[in-house]
Amino acid sequence: MNHMIIIAQRVLTQLKGDRRFLTLYFIAPVLIIYFLKLLIDTLPHFVPVVNIAMPICAFIVHFLSFILCAILLIQERTRGTLERMLIAGYPKTSIIGGYTLGYFGLATLQSLIAFTESIWLFHLNYSFGTILYMFIVIWLLSVVSVMLGIFISTFAKHEAHVLPFIPLIILPSVFLTGLIIDSDKLPLWAEWLGDCLPIHYAINILNEINHADYQVIDTLADFAILIGYIFGLLFLASFTLKETE
Amino acid sequence: MNAIEITNLSKQYGKILALDHMDLSVPEGMIYGIVGSNGAGKSTLIKAMVGSLRPTSGATKVLGLDPLKEKWELRKQIGYMPQSPALYDDLTAIENILFFGKAQSINNIEKVTDEILSFTELTTRANDKVGTFSGGMKKRVSLCCAMVHNPKILFLDEPTAAIDPHLKILLWQLFRKLAQSGVTIFLSTHQMDEVLLCDKVTILSNGKVLATDTPQKLIELGKTKLTLTINGIEKSTTIGSTPQNLASELQKSGLDPLISSVAIQTENIEEIILSIMNHREEGNKR
Repeated sequence: MNHMIIIAQRVLTQLKGDRRFLTLYFIAPVLIIYFLKLLIDTLPHFVPVVNIAMPICAFIVHFLSFILCAILLIQERTRGTLERMLIAGYPKTSIIGGYTLGYFGLATLQSLIAFTESIWLFHLNYSFGTILYMFIVIWLLSVVSVMLGIFISTFAKHEAHVLPFIPLIILPSVFLTGLIIDSDKLPLWAEWLGDCLPIHYAINILNEINHADYQVIDTLADFAILIGYIFGLLFLASFTLKETE
Repeated sequence: MNAIEITNLSKQYGKILALDHMDLSVPEGMIYGIVGSNGAGKSTLIKAMVGSLRPTSGATKVLGLDPLKEKWELRKQIGYMPQSPALYDDLTAIENILFFGKAQSINNIEKVTDEILSFTELTTRANDKVGTFSGGMKKRVSLCCAMVHNPKILFLDEPTAAIDPHLKILLWQLFRKLAQSGVTIFLSTHQMDEVLLCDKVTILSNGKVLATDTPQKLIELGKTKLTLTINGIEKSTTIGSTPQNLASELQKSGLDPLISSVAIQTENIEEIILSIMNHREEGNKR
C-alpha cells in the first residue's frame, strides 16, 4: 500500500508540472463540449437536447481519459522508467494501483468540470438527486476509462501502438452502444458487441435517469457492471503487465 | 565468493542469438567492464543479471541469488543504471532520487540523498527539474538513483556514453571511490579506452565472450617487443614505443649511431581489441 501511495504521489507531482497534459486533460473536454453546444444549437427545437448532451459528455470524458492515460503509461515504458521502477523494487501491482490512485483524482476533477459545463451550457434543469446520479455515472465511466487505458498500455511498446485501439474500442462505442441510436435497433450481433463496451452501461443509466419515474434500483445492474469493469480491468492489467523481456 | 556467476547463458530473440552460451565470473569489490561494439549483447547481459530479461537457457547467480526466482531479495542489494537516463523530466533531481530510493526501506533517506548528491557534485542543482539538465548531469542523477539504497553491486549500462571528457573523468573517479568502499561495479562500454580503467575486462562480440583478462594483460599484448638474433642467439627486449627508444636499443647491437630514430607502428588498446574481435570472428567463419 505504501508503494502504491508513493507512486500515486509521484504521478500527481509529475503531472502538475506537465502543462501540455493538464491542458489536454482539462481544457480539451471543455472546448469539445462547447463545440457540441454550437452543433446542438443548429438542430431543430424538437430534438431532445437532454437525451444527447449527457451521453456525449460521457463519451468525451471516456475517450480523453482512455487515450491520455494509455499514452502516459506507455511513455513510462519507452523512457525506461517502468523497467527502472520494477528493478528498484516496486511490485507491478503497486505500479498499476499507484497509477490508478493518481489518475483517480484527475478523473474525478475532469468529470466534474465536463459535467458542470454540460449542465450550465445546455440549461439542464435537474433535481439535485438526478445531478448527483449523473455525476456518479460519468465519474465511474472516467475511472473505467483510466483502467482501460492502463490495461491497453500493457500491450503497447510505444505510443503509436495505442492508435489501433481507437477504431477497435472507441469508435464502436459511438455506433453500437446507444450513443447515437438506440442499440435495440441494431442486428443482434452488433447489439451484443455494443454490450461488451463499458460506455453502453453508462449511457443506459443516463437515459434511464431522464425518465420521470426513474428509480436507482432500475439501473443497479448497470452500476454493478461499470464497477465490475474497474476491478476486472485492474485484475487483467496486473496479469498483462510484463516484468521481463 | 564471486559476486556474479554466469554459466552457459543464452538468449534468443527469434533468429538472433543475443547471448551465446556465455560463462562469466565476477569477483566481489572490483570494477568489471564488458566491452564490445553496439549489438554485442552488453545490455542484454546486464538485463539478464538484474532480472529484467528471461534467458532462453543457462544459469545466472548474482550474490548467490537467482535474478528471477529470488528477485525481491536481490533487488534490495543491486543498483541499476540503464543506458538511457530513465528519469522523470518533470521532477527535480532530489524528487527522482527519493522516488526510486523509496522502493526499498532506507533509514534517513533524505540524509542519504543529500550525501549522494554531494558525492556526485549535484547539491547546487538538487531542486532543479531534471528536464533542464545536460546529458552528463542526467547520468549523474541516474547514478544517484541506482546507488541511493547502498547496493552491494551496481550495474551500469554504458554510463559514460555521449558525455564530455571532463564528466567522464568525474564519473570514473566516482566509480573508483565506490569500488574502494566495497561496491562491485559491473559496467558496459563501447569505448575501448575505458578498458584501462577497469580491474578486469571481458570482450564481447555477437553475444560471445572473446577474451577475459586484466587491462594490463591486454596491453601487454600490444607492447613493442624487439627480438634480435645475433650469432644465432635470439634476444628479446620489450621497449618503449618512441622511435628514439628503438634506435638506442638497436645501437647497442651495432646500429650506426648516425641513425637516431627508428619508427614502428604499435597498436593501441582499441586496435588490439578490434583485432581480437576480427581474428575470432574469422576463426568462427572457418
